[in-house]
Amino acid sequence: MEVTLKILRFDPLKDKKPRFQEYVVEVYEYTRVLEALIWVRENLDPSLSFRYSCRMAQCGSCGMLIDEVPRLACKTLIKDLGRDEVTIKPLPKYRVIKDLVVEMDDFFEKHRSVKPYLIRKNREEQEKPKKFYVQLPHELQRYLNYGYCIVCGLCSSSCPNFDSSWEYLGPQALSQAYRYIVDSRDEGFEERYEVLNSNSGVWRCHFASECSENCPKGVEPAQAIQMLRRMILSFSFKKKLSLFSEKIHRLSKQ
Amino acid sequence: MERVWKWFAIRGRSVNSIAYSFHRITGIVLLIYLILHLGFLTSLRFGESLYTAFISTTVKPETLPLDSLLFLATFYHAFNGFRVVLNEFGLFYEVRRALIYLMTLLTLIFWIYSTYLMYTYVVR
Repeated sequence: MEVTLKILRFDPLKDKKPRFQEYVVEVYEYTRVLEALIWVRENLDPSLSFRYSCRMAQCGSCGMLIDEVPRLACKTLIKDLGRDEVTIKPLPKYRVIKDLVVEMDDFFEKHRSVKPYLIRKNREEQEKPKKFYVQLPHELQRYLNYGYCIVCGLCSSSCPNFDSSWEYLGPQALSQAYRYIVDSRDEGFEERYEVLNSNSGVWRCHFASECSENCPKGVEPAQAIQMLRRMILSFSFKKKLSLFSEKIHRLSKQ
Repeated sequence: MERVWKWFAIRGRSVNSIAYSFHRITGIVLLIYLILHLGFLTSLRFGESLYTAFISTTVKPETLPLDSLLFLATFYHAFNGFRVVLNEFGLFYEVRRALIYLMTLLTLIFWIYSTYLMYTYVVR
């Protein structure tokens, strides 16, 4: 079967604005979009740029907008799209470097800002752990699904909130914050609290839940954000209550 | 402006995003209505005749379809807002899609009944 790939191309050195270029590719039942792109680059146009690495939905490099939906090119079967013309564009919400390659520095910076690693209150223990941290199966289940995130950026590129706020941390960073907070080995909630409760944090989400719909690994970022909200509300309430009781205590002593 | 147009984009969007877009659109409609409503009420300060002139242009059988559409926007915004509140408390997350359909159905039932009542009273 022949399929036309309609690819949005942009070379900042040559083009003033993005343009579509079409390539006709012979595809089979199990041909994936990534394989078709590799074939185009090897046989028709070596100047076509796109990112990929593992080819098995593990590295998260080949995210792109396929038929207007953010998907991993290595995981998308062309026959599943059910069309003989497939439109491929770079992921939206990111700056295009060339063709289908986008700049993800800001995305990774946001990921880093929520401290996506285990934090212990005891710094010495953090640097030089002396024992294993035993974890029970039910404790693992609390975060396992969120641990499947491959940092591909599809969730953030599909989130409509980025259309009105670039500062928003986004579903990926927030779901990873949740993944570590609910980990029984982690004690870093208070360290992450400021950034999560900031203007760019969990309160920016308006629950379109497009992130969960488009996640190629079945992570549920939308759910993680709502659970984080609950935790933050509960923590803030307890904090305010303790401040209030301290104040009352002080006043009663005077 | 391009970002605002994205609210109306349907292709490639899930039903959740479409509900989100409609929520924003109906919110804007209700805001415009509220401004007009307050404007009409403020006109009372400038005399009864001005207020009556305003009211006579809008409150008549010909503008009833607009009232009906306003009710549609109100019911949609209210029911969908309730759904969002439930979901944002982490409730019914697994059935979020079914909840959208349920709220849309409730919107349509309330809208049709309210329109029926409106026309019944005006015809009388």
